[in-house]
Amino acid sequence: MTETIENIQTRRGEDAGPLLSVRDLKVTFQRSGEQPFVAVDGVSFDVRPGQTVGLVGESGCGKSVTSLAIMGLLPERGVKIEGEVLYNGQDLLKLSRNQMRDRRGADLGMIFQDPLSSLNPVVPIGIQVTEVLERHRGLSRKAATPIAREMLEKVGIPDPNRRLTDYPHQLSGGMRQRALIAIALAAQPRVLIADEPTTALDVTIQAQILALLKELVEDTGTALIMITHDLGVVAGLVDRVNVLYAGKIVERGNRHELFAEPRHPYTWGLLNSIPRLDGTRGQKLTPIPGSVSDNLPWASACAFAPRCSQPIEVCREQQPELVEEGTRALRCFNPIDDEVRSGRTPDAQAPTSTQPRDAAYPTDDPKGDPTMEESR
Amino acid sequence: MTATAETTSAAAPKDGDVLVDVRGVKVHFPIKKGVIFDRTIGYVYAVDGVDLQIRRGETYGLVGESGCGKSTLGRAILNLEPPTEGTVEFDGVDIASLSGETLRRKRQDIQMVFQDPMGSLDPRQSVESLLLEGMKAHGLAKNEKEANARLRELLKAVGLPAAALKKYPHEFSGGQRQRIGIARALSVNPKLIVADEPVSALDVSVQAQVINLLEELQDEYGLTYLVVAHDLAVVRHISDRIGVMYLGALVEEADAEELYEHPLHPYTRALMSAVPVPDPVVEDRRERILLTGDLPSPANPPKGCRFHTRCPWRQETRCDTERPELRSVQLEGVSPGHRVACHWAEQIASGELKPHEVKAQITEQSDLGGDEDLMGPASIQEAL
Repeated sequence: MTETIENIQTRRGEDAGPLLSVRDLKVTFQRSGEQPFVAVDGVSFDVRPGQTVGLVGESGCGKSVTSLAIMGLLPERGVKIEGEVLYNGQDLLKLSRNQMRDRRGADLGMIFQDPLSSLNPVVPIGIQVTEVLERHRGLSRKAATPIAREMLEKVGIPDPNRRLTDYPHQLSGGMRQRALIAIALAAQPRVLIADEPTTALDVTIQAQILALLKELVEDTGTALIMITHDLGVVAGLVDRVNVLYAGKIVERGNRHELFAEPRHPYTWGLLNSIPRLDGTRGQKLTPIPGSVSDNLPWASACAFAPRCSQPIEVCREQQPELVEEGTRALRCFNPIDDEVRSGRTPDAQAPTSTQPRDAAYPTDDPKGDPTMEESR
Repeated sequence: MTATAETTSAAAPKDGDVLVDVRGVKVHFPIKKGVIFDRTIGYVYAVDGVDLQIRRGETYGLVGESGCGKSTLGRAILNLEPPTEGTVEFDGVDIASLSGETLRRKRQDIQMVFQDPMGSLDPRQSVESLLLEGMKAHGLAKNEKEANARLRELLKAVGLPAAALKKYPHEFSGGQRQRIGIARALSVNPKLIVADEPVSALDVSVQAQVINLLEELQDEYGLTYLVVAHDLAVVRHISDRIGVMYLGALVEEADAEELYEHPLHPYTRALMSAVPVPDPVVEDRRERILLTGDLPSPANPPKGCRFHTRCPWRQETRCDTERPELRSVQLEGVSPGHRVACHWAEQIASGELKPHEVKAQITEQSDLGGDEDLMGPASIQEAL
């Protein structure tokens, strides 16, 4: 059932061509007297209508900066943005501030992680929704109110009539996130960016919000860019997954192939380091050694090499390129092969898991933390 | 209440050596109002009648969503939050009866690891001074040589190099800071470590390092853990037994494996079905029990079963009038140590009762204080 919907979507998406296309996006933070810091380093991806694209990675991988750059929300001072963000063929990065203001909310909507700090605490929810309709659809407040009520109802807020006059603090965390989604969707944007929309919520509420987002994409054909660190969320929602590490995409693939056959040691390491609710108990986790700050500069090496489970010489000498192959892309000199993968933890998914996985992980010791001397 | 507390704990298994015995513990926070006269206008029932035993050498996982009282219970066990009612016996001694110097000395046996390693380490103390402080307070650092050897041993145990001693917390990454927090807890040779969300502030790739470290230390030092966390996958991985909390009370308690195989309480089922699994094949096939609405306010908990307002298996009788006790059930594959607080657990397990649709009820975020005091209730909510 889900399978067929997905197929239809992908087909529909391919016919329509990309709606939003990010090309070689590079964001550099510069402060006088300090080394410039490249947060996003040549990221490219496409989003089609009705498609959910995921940007996955840990803190500092550049996933949020990418989204802010697309939305034109980065400060103008001290930030250098290069590359292109094409929306319907037009480069959003070349638009003036005023032109971009017309686009934000109307064509591109955004949902932030923390609903309490993204809602205005002294303005009732209803006005925060009608505001968008007034600004972008030119409606009067009177005309916009019924639509706002409808929006609140659509995102599953009970008793929307009363909620219109409520202030954000009167709503619970889950309701606030729903209100934020209603605001983001009010002007019916064709692209919705969700930056960790469920991280601040409890799991049962997270399940509600994810179901809501899934439904929206299926019903309205909105393109969704989902930014998250949670591979579980990715597995259930995202069609195309981009795994980011230190500002670059290191692996890309459709959700089923990526999870069934992770090729980059980082993706593979992430999957092995999280405890699974349906996994076998009593099995040791295989952590990725070190921390996200132990990077080599991309210019002359693979940034992940110091933490990699199977580095080879060239990893520290040369920058790996993102190589496209069919629906997948990979940036790695020594990818995880079938042999290592089949030695993966004996989950339900890997029936041929008889080999000891230690063979694949000589640096299994979490105490061998190489970060001490490098960390600042 | 005392009577029910006795009956339920009598039903609990007595095997194993009980290190912590929590009986009928309640922690109620008064809600005050007024400037001159501090009128108490109500209570937040953060923990409302919990019985549990933690055996020596085991890891007990306490899981639940925000506001369910799991952290408050953890703090009540350390007597950081004195219980309003009930007793906490640690190693045969009632903690609440201790005070002053005796309590301070007892704290050597119970240590805590906090969620936010940056917030719980003094930024102006070096690692050496952080670790020595506790040892000095408990008379464990008699001479410099001995203390130095002990410091090195501690750092080695948590996987930090000896050079770390002279550094300050900001010089470390999140995972390393959490290691320092763990070393500090270990420094006084505790018997029990209460870990409140020990990995939730860490990056995913680093979480596993800390989880593995906690497991290794348990094997090495024979520690007993109480792990308080919201992430069911993490709790299931690390714990021997798990208690599931909802709105101030335990709704289910079982061995980690059994809880996953045979969840009996509707809330446990819903919680487990909501946890995302990093596997698209599983995710596509899964049937989710989506709960409607939000957690009711702990200042005004529902009558009867606290979960009845959101329960898909709610029945016409008993659920909204009679508060279910934690009890063992006679079912195939369910061991006697598996306790559940649901009137209809047997019927739900056998499939006799089917889930039905629940209409979302509006959770009042402003139950108290009235309209003229809009900020008051919100801050109570946040305080939880």
